Amino acid sequence: MTKKKSDYIGPKVLNTLLPVGLAFLIGGIIILCIGENPLEAYRIMLGKSLFTAKGFLNTLHYASPLLLTGLAIAITFKANLFNMGVEGQLLVGGFFAGIAGASLDLTSPVMQKVVCMLVGIGCGVLFALIPALLRAFFHVDEMVVTLMLNYAMIKVLEYLSSGPFREAGSGYVCTPVIHESAMFQRLGIGNSRLTMFFFLAFAILLIMTFIFKKTKLGMEITAIGKNPDFAEATGMRVRRKIIILMCISGALAGLAGAGHMMSEKFKYTLGFSGTTGLGWDGMLIALLGRHNPIGVLLAAIFYSALKTGADNINMYTSVPKEIVGVLQGLIILFLAVQFLDERFGLRERFARRMSRKEEA
Amino acid sequence: MGFITGILYDSVYHAIPILLCVLGGIFAYKANVLNIALEGMMLAGAFVSVLVSFKTENVMLGYIAAVVTCLAIGLIFAFFGVSCKGNVIVIGLAVNMSIVAIAGFVLQLMNSANIKLGFTNAADFKIHIPIIKNIPILGGIISGHTIITYITFVSIVLVWILMYRTKFGIYVRVVGENEDSAKSLGLNTNKYRYLAILLGSFFCALAGINLALERMTIFTNSMTAGRGFIAIAAIYCGRGDPLSCTFYALIFGLARALSVNLSLYAGAAAAVFDVIPYVVMSIVLTVVSVIKYRNSRVRGM
Repeated sequence: MTKKKSDYIGPKVLNTLLPVGLAFLIGGIIILCIGENPLEAYRIMLGKSLFTAKGFLNTLHYASPLLLTGLAIAITFKANLFNMGVEGQLLVGGFFAGIAGASLDLTSPVMQKVVCMLVGIGCGVLFALIPALLRAFFHVDEMVVTLMLNYAMIKVLEYLSSGPFREAGSGYVCTPVIHESAMFQRLGIGNSRLTMFFFLAFAILLIMTFIFKKTKLGMEITAIGKNPDFAEATGMRVRRKIIILMCISGALAGLAGAGHMMSEKFKYTLGFSGTTGLGWDGMLIALLGRHNPIGVLLAAIFYSALKTGADNINMYTSVPKEIVGVLQGLIILFLAVQFLDERFGLRERFARRMSRKEEA
Repeated sequence: MGFITGILYDSVYHAIPILLCVLGGIFAYKANVLNIALEGMMLAGAFVSVLVSFKTENVMLGYIAAVVTCLAIGLIFAFFGVSCKGNVIVIGLAVNMSIVAIAGFVLQLMNSANIKLGFTNAADFKIHIPIIKNIPILGGIISGHTIITYITFVSIVLVWILMYRTKFGIYVRVVGENEDSAKSLGLNTNKYRYLAILLGSFFCALAGINLALERMTIFTNSMTAGRGFIAIAAIYCGRGDPLSCTFYALIFGLARALSVNLSLYAGAAAAVFDVIPYVVMSIVLTVVSVIKYRNSRVRGM
């Protein structure tokens, strides 16, 4: 068994592209049904956000939080944990980073940003710690708890933003705008919205890649994902690893929220994380990127292009932008199934079939 | 006294959609297919029932369309999860997300934030049972619910019988507990998984109809608000036994009724009371888990 992972990359790529293609096909049929031209719609959706310089840079900008949430889910999937609370952790991180950004006024802008991000990370970790401790010490299924706590957190933040922390002068529910020193300034490359946050997210992606590929922690987490009983029997502290992993996941989600707040939103509104929710998008990105850092990067950019393109589609055609949500659901549905067996490469498969034919 | 009767009436009222989801979910749970898609199927039931009633002005058609749609979704779920052997959790979440998106898509096409039925209202669906409604306290609690509420309580018994007293129930449990021995008995394991999932989608359709059409004659997107997940928590707590799962679903109903009734007195902080059901369910889940593993000496997971 000396095969390398990279040997059989063909079926892996196909297994990723086929679901996307199928989803677009079904999406196209839906668009056709409401009397629009699907090709035209897809061209508007992806053309501008991927193939123009400004559009692409904006796509990168919106991909930044998605990179982090995708990573947050990918690392827990790796250990066979289901942290479905990324959405809630992102919201709580973003909310309190926003409160910190508006109420603190430190002299150094760098310090101000660092403190805000730390607040976001801290909140994300604390919120992720609840299901982590329950899972590790009481065997409570983390998936069910995180799914339910999401709703609880949304309600709490709804109360906080419409009650105690509401901006008095505004006509709708929102928190005060954060100070300028806490905002990531636009870098101004090609007149786009791109900020430092994208590079920060990218750096974290590299760091996490290193941790998971090269350190003991990464190896142990992979082992736990493959067989927890075996990992426990060889002396790994599974319980502690679960807690650490959930905390890392929460931290990434919290940072994603804080960054989204500081680079894009600047205040907490009820629609802070958009229509499908950045945390849920992370789930698609983790699956599409096959829990692999480069995959996550590509998937985040692709999905971000889809999302920014959705605003264009609303402008130029009568297709509702919810079509992106439909596509997202369909892609995840198809991604859940392996279309091709990944144990064999395409060439090997072809060769085997040929040899079988010859035998016959 | 009126206050307590009110809370108990509301407990039944709020427990019903959960209870239906629980009844639907336990067969899939016993067949070892965790059906996260309960939430999405319930939303689909709610959406289709109101949409079809709205378009045709015929409530009966709404009922039928909702059931048919949910069965179709169940079939898709089963096809991907059982026949294609996909990851059922991922498939379930995909179903949940797709339904929300499709409902949003259609609402956007209709250019409105919700669908409201004009030709009927919620009071039309309430059934006042002739004799029972005159009994002082009991009447206030039991009478005046919708038809599906009464179907639900009958279903609890039916599901119990189906689970423990019929061949079907026994086979479903065998398939879940030990697939190999089920196969060696010559059972078509996939068939029983399909049936378990479809039974679940049928009950979810009823839950959705109850939630949207019967109770409010209105549909707003994401109105299920995690009830499907709470149902899954209840199933976990009761470990798939119809009677104990019913008990946990009723606890949720009580928590919800308390939160609604108490928030009337809370003024500005009323929104915080919405958190109670989710927190209560998390605590119940923990307590049940602690009791279950109290005597276990195994370290780790």
